[in-house]
Amino acid sequence: MELLPQATVDGLLIGGIYITIAIGFSLAYGVMHIIDFAVGEWIMLGAFLGYYLNLWSVLDPFILLPAIFLVFAVIGYLIQPLVYRVISGKKGNPVLMGLVFTFGLALMFRGAALTGFGFYSHSIPSAISQDSFFIEMGSVFITIPYVRLAGLLYAIAITLVLHFVLKKTDFGRAVRALSQHREASGLMGINAKRISSYVYGIYVGLSAMTGVIIGSIFTLNAQMGGEYTILAFFIVVLAGMGYLAGVPWAAFLLGLVQSFFLIYLNPSYTLMAVFGILFTILLISPKGLFGRGV
Amino acid sequence: MSRKYLLLILSFGALLAVPSVIHDTFFLRIITEAILWIGLAISWDVLAGYTGYLNFGHGAFFGIGAYTTALLMKLCGWSFFLALPFAGLAAGALAVIAGIPTLRLKGAYFAIATWALSRAIQQVALVMDITGGPDGMRLPTFLHPDFFYYLMLGVVAAIFALYWFLLEKAPFGLKVKAIREDDQSAMSLGLNPTWIKLQAFILSAVPTGILGAIYAYWITYIDPASVLGDLVTDQAVVMAVFGGLGTLIGPAIGAIIIYLFKTYFWAYLSDYQVLYLIILGGVIAASVVFLPNGLWGTISGYLQTRNAVKQKPVPQEKIDKGVHHV
Repeated sequence: MELLPQATVDGLLIGGIYITIAIGFSLAYGVMHIIDFAVGEWIMLGAFLGYYLNLWSVLDPFILLPAIFLVFAVIGYLIQPLVYRVISGKKGNPVLMGLVFTFGLALMFRGAALTGFGFYSHSIPSAISQDSFFIEMGSVFITIPYVRLAGLLYAIAITLVLHFVLKKTDFGRAVRALSQHREASGLMGINAKRISSYVYGIYVGLSAMTGVIIGSIFTLNAQMGGEYTILAFFIVVLAGMGYLAGVPWAAFLLGLVQSFFLIYLNPSYTLMAVFGILFTILLISPKGLFGRGV
Repeated sequence: MSRKYLLLILSFGALLAVPSVIHDTFFLRIITEAILWIGLAISWDVLAGYTGYLNFGHGAFFGIGAYTTALLMKLCGWSFFLALPFAGLAAGALAVIAGIPTLRLKGAYFAIATWALSRAIQQVALVMDITGGPDGMRLPTFLHPDFFYYLMLGVVAAIFALYWFLLEKAPFGLKVKAIREDDQSAMSLGLNPTWIKLQAFILSAVPTGILGAIYAYWITYIDPASVLGDLVTDQAVVMAVFGGLGTLIGPAIGAIIIYLFKTYFWAYLSDYQVLYLIILGGVIAASVVFLPNGLWGTISGYLQTRNAVKQKPVPQEKIDKGVHHV
């Protein structure tokens, strides 16, 4: 039992990072109604950019975050019109085509990363990677690495900023209007195309930034994308598609599931457990834990 | 229509004669595998093209068929033909389990869930002792290239004929298409969308499992990377999307082109195998943007337009007289 507090703390620390992945993903879904199969690949590409920038500039990965956000936000902004063209096509089934299209993008990115970066795993060293602090209360002993704590703080900061932007600014109001009703928001003078481009850029930038955090806490390699895509889906489905307020709870739950499997059970069955939970939720409450999804 | 049938029967007859013409086992093997991919591409398309639900875990059904056969033959000592139906059964059962919660929902959920399912099964096969983990399993060897050629050809032709009948001739095809176009209206006509989609899913999964079984016995060695890996799904998706979703001919053509390309690519550029993934992804993305109806859909659309143009216009006098047909 002495491992229980440690497992819980670990789970919450990991879960915090997942929030940032899933919020961007959920935002993009709410506005564009697109399920992006390349989400994990954006994380992977971001992590690699962070890795190489860190090698080149010897700056701490946490300082590099804004630069990486900018680079990938621009990439996302530029790619969005193509995605938009696919999902708003007149022929066939646009939603289906959107899924196929991002599936193709994901394959391309993975292949490109394997070609360019090879199969090896790396990690991005941060000045605080080595240190951790300890909490001792009687027989309970908890280790908290600084870098994980920094990851959680980063996640909380991002969540608060996004909350402020969505609730208090004109841009946020436009985004919320767009996800509520596309046609009506167009009649109110909201430029759907431009807002969608911004949102997609923010989503890609957020995913890439989180990739750097993941790279400095765990490791990064060219094949890591698939795993994070599944985790992002898991959180978004659990929270309810497009329901942002449910995301943190689902993310913490996922973190706890992972850390408990890691400590008490066989970590090789984590994906099976993740799938089992996903499956049960879809069976009982397809609109997510809170029944608020679309 | 009759020309189409004649062409199909003729090409089937030509394929029957292949082993007596080609004695090189290497080429026979390539043709056998091309036929296997035709089967995998059309079975993927039955669900994706006809119902609009993308199964991004197609490899899981292929792999479960392969592993079921391997386990039954190795552990229970069953003969191949006794194990074969159980491979199909296992894949069908997996389709029922995965389909019931997800087919009620929108296609995106289904795509995600099947993808996660295939990853989860891959992970389990990698750690279980009974499946040999990452080392995979060896099956009893039976080295008769001609036997496997005819078996593969017969099974894929049977699958093709079954799909052709059910989807293009029988009412089932109309039901499936009605649900794909508008499930609300289909429901108002008394159809049960979830049940019909589940039937289509089973129809897609069972043949995939059987193909997996034949593959396992043919290659005699399976491991999670070869039968459960993402490449099976990725290639089936490319073939069907590139060839043309929602038809049976399209994915078959796509399968032949992509498979031959892959064989050529891996034979001459084996140092750049990961480049293959970029090409697969690029073909999918480019097909969606430039050929939304796929290769076959575009060609047949072009032929239809050309034939329509060739028809002689109705003379003005006949229209004046009220005679509209020639």
